[in-house]
Amino acid sequence: MQSKFSSGTARITRLGRRGCDLMEALGRAGVFLAQSAIGIPSREGWRLWLQQMHFVGVLSLAIVLVSGLFIGMVLALQGYTILVDFGAEQALGQMVALSLLRELAPVVAALLFAGRAGSALTAEIGLMKATEQLTSMEMIGVDPLRRVVAPRLWAGFVALPILTVGFSVVGIWGGYLVGVEWLGVFEGSYWSNMQASVDFINDVGNGMIKSLVFAVVVTWIAVFQGYDLVPTSEGISRATTRTVVYSSLAVLGLDFVLTAVMFGGL
Amino acid sequence: MRRSKTMEFGVGLFMIAGILGVVFLGLRVSGLTLSAPSQSFQLEANFANIGGLKPRARVTMAGVTVGRVETIELDTEWYDARVVLRLNSELEGQLSRDSTASILTAGLLGEQYIGLSVGGDPEMLAAGDTIRDTQSALVLEELIQQFVSNMASN
Amino acid sequence: MTDTPFIEIEDLYFSRGEHDIFRGVNMTVPRGKVTAIMGPSGTGKTTLLKLIGGQLVPDRGRILIDGQDVHRLSRKALFTLRKRMGMLFQSGALFSDLDVFENVAFPLRVHTDLPDTMVRDLVLLKLQAVGLRGARELTPAELSGGMARRVALARAMALDPELILYDEPFVGQDPISMGVLVQLIKRLNQALQLTSVVVSHDIKETLSIADYLYLIADGQVVAHGTPQTLDINQDPRVSQFIHGEPDGPVPFHYPAEAFYRDILGDARVSTSG
Repeated sequence: MQSKFSSGTARITRLGRRGCDLMEALGRAGVFLAQSAIGIPSREGWRLWLQQMHFVGVLSLAIVLVSGLFIGMVLALQGYTILVDFGAEQALGQMVALSLLRELAPVVAALLFAGRAGSALTAEIGLMKATEQLTSMEMIGVDPLRRVVAPRLWAGFVALPILTVGFSVVGIWGGYLVGVEWLGVFEGSYWSNMQASVDFINDVGNGMIKSLVFAVVVTWIAVFQGYDLVPTSEGISRATTRTVVYSSLAVLGLDFVLTAVMFGGL
Repeated sequence: MRRSKTMEFGVGLFMIAGILGVVFLGLRVSGLTLSAPSQSFQLEANFANIGGLKPRARVTMAGVTVGRVETIELDTEWYDARVVLRLNSELEGQLSRDSTASILTAGLLGEQYIGLSVGGDPEMLAAGDTIRDTQSALVLEELIQQFVSNMASN
Repeated sequence: MTDTPFIEIEDLYFSRGEHDIFRGVNMTVPRGKVTAIMGPSGTGKTTLLKLIGGQLVPDRGRILIDGQDVHRLSRKALFTLRKRMGMLFQSGALFSDLDVFENVAFPLRVHTDLPDTMVRDLVLLKLQAVGLRGARELTPAELSGGMARRVALARAMALDPELILYDEPFVGQDPISMGVLVQLIKRLNQALQLTSVVVSHDIKETLSIADYLYLIADGQVVAHGTPQTLDINQDPRVSQFIHGEPDGPVPFHYPAEAFYRDILGDARVSTSG
């Protein structure tokens, strides 16, 4: 009886400790974001930002565009087989454009970004930590939050929305290729139905807001995981995995919340 | 140094591509027009029932898009819908006073838009005038009801 | 003013988790001299350097550098103070995305507005001092461990600091580069009137360059003095370390339960009983 009771309390204690650890980590991550993202960039800062834009933006472009093309093509194919039963295949453009702009482009681009750029950011910063580069930077009198973290954060914030735009454009074009060129939907109705139903502020704008939120969350998780990891090779590999898992979950969860607020009439 | 120049160029291209993408999404996908407001004029039209007409719906003439619906509001004097249309300025002073505006549907289930057709009155509509002769939207339920009651009376 | 100590450590307590690392360390580092901190592995010598650099905060006690309490400074003042220190890391810790030249130029670029030509001259001067002027275009990945450490030394000296902290400068070096490093540290200290703190457990090399020695064990300073006085120190712990004797009061074994109980299987005894 005694032991059962004590193991019960031990379990509650463990749960409590987990909760405290979680809160502490969240607090650390918040302070970390505030300290590194806020500040006026120097001339050197711009150059570093540009360098990171190259790494997280330009180098992720290919994978994002190819995925966008395929997703647009699949959307058109699937949409056509359903719409044609109702004789509404003219609405294909509308369907492809709205699904891409509102949901698929922000979400899928963010997931790809987490896998391609996010994990690389974590590993890179983690390696700099493990080889004492961050410590030695601090000893030289340079704040690694400003020098290493801030350019990467801001590059992520800017790059993902641009990648999302690219994803949408290529996806709509992919839908056009399959729907109009292959399946024979009338070209005029593909575009005009799209134009009649897509609203720039509500659809394109809300999609961009989603993508901006995802950009902040994914980059934040990636960079923080790199900065906060245990500086061993095992720690780096674990943190890289955590980056991909946490940011994917965060993107999907936040997508539901944002969709409910934007389109769910809340 | 050279490597950093090509890198800067790449990032520049990347950002230009992003801006072009937004322009594409604006013009081609959401159908925004670049025409300045000075090149258009407004007309009003009151409808007894607008059905599913929405702001930014097309206004056509003989099937050609000549403008868009600007606003839709309830006219509290007559309790009907006052629709403000924004039309291309080339039509200003060209539409006769007895022109009709009707709410049409593209296909059976498609979006609703406004079709204009000119009459024979020598006097022309000026900016801000109201189109008198209007035809409300066909509401499917009413149509079916009519059909059923006709069947019954026969 | 040269007689006042550059670093004063007063009653320093520091622990990591349950494990006490320092229990009341007192130390003074004189200006313009080489002071060595020695002790067996795992006594927290590197931790002490991090405390001096202000990267860790002690539980109790304080560290004064040139009269300033390191852990009471604002972040900005701390970074200003760090410009007057250089630190040589065990691994070198060169920035892997920059080449050798840019690594040494890094402190100059971020802390000064010197024109490029002057930066170039200064960097080549520092690289010449460590004998690696010819290696300026290599990346850190192409350097051997000893070369990386010399580049790191050049970088630590780039801003002409008043204090250099060396973290295990001799570990894992072949005899030749070890000799080079010993010479370098000695020469630099004399030529530039630096204050140096060397953390090491390589007795011979450290004794040859140090003006004053501190010996740390069990979280406390067990002995201090010039190399000559320590060499004849009668304290068994000191003589064991200085003369490298395997047996003595400093245990070779990590604390464990009695050997025979471990071997005979305490668990088996208790389950059968």
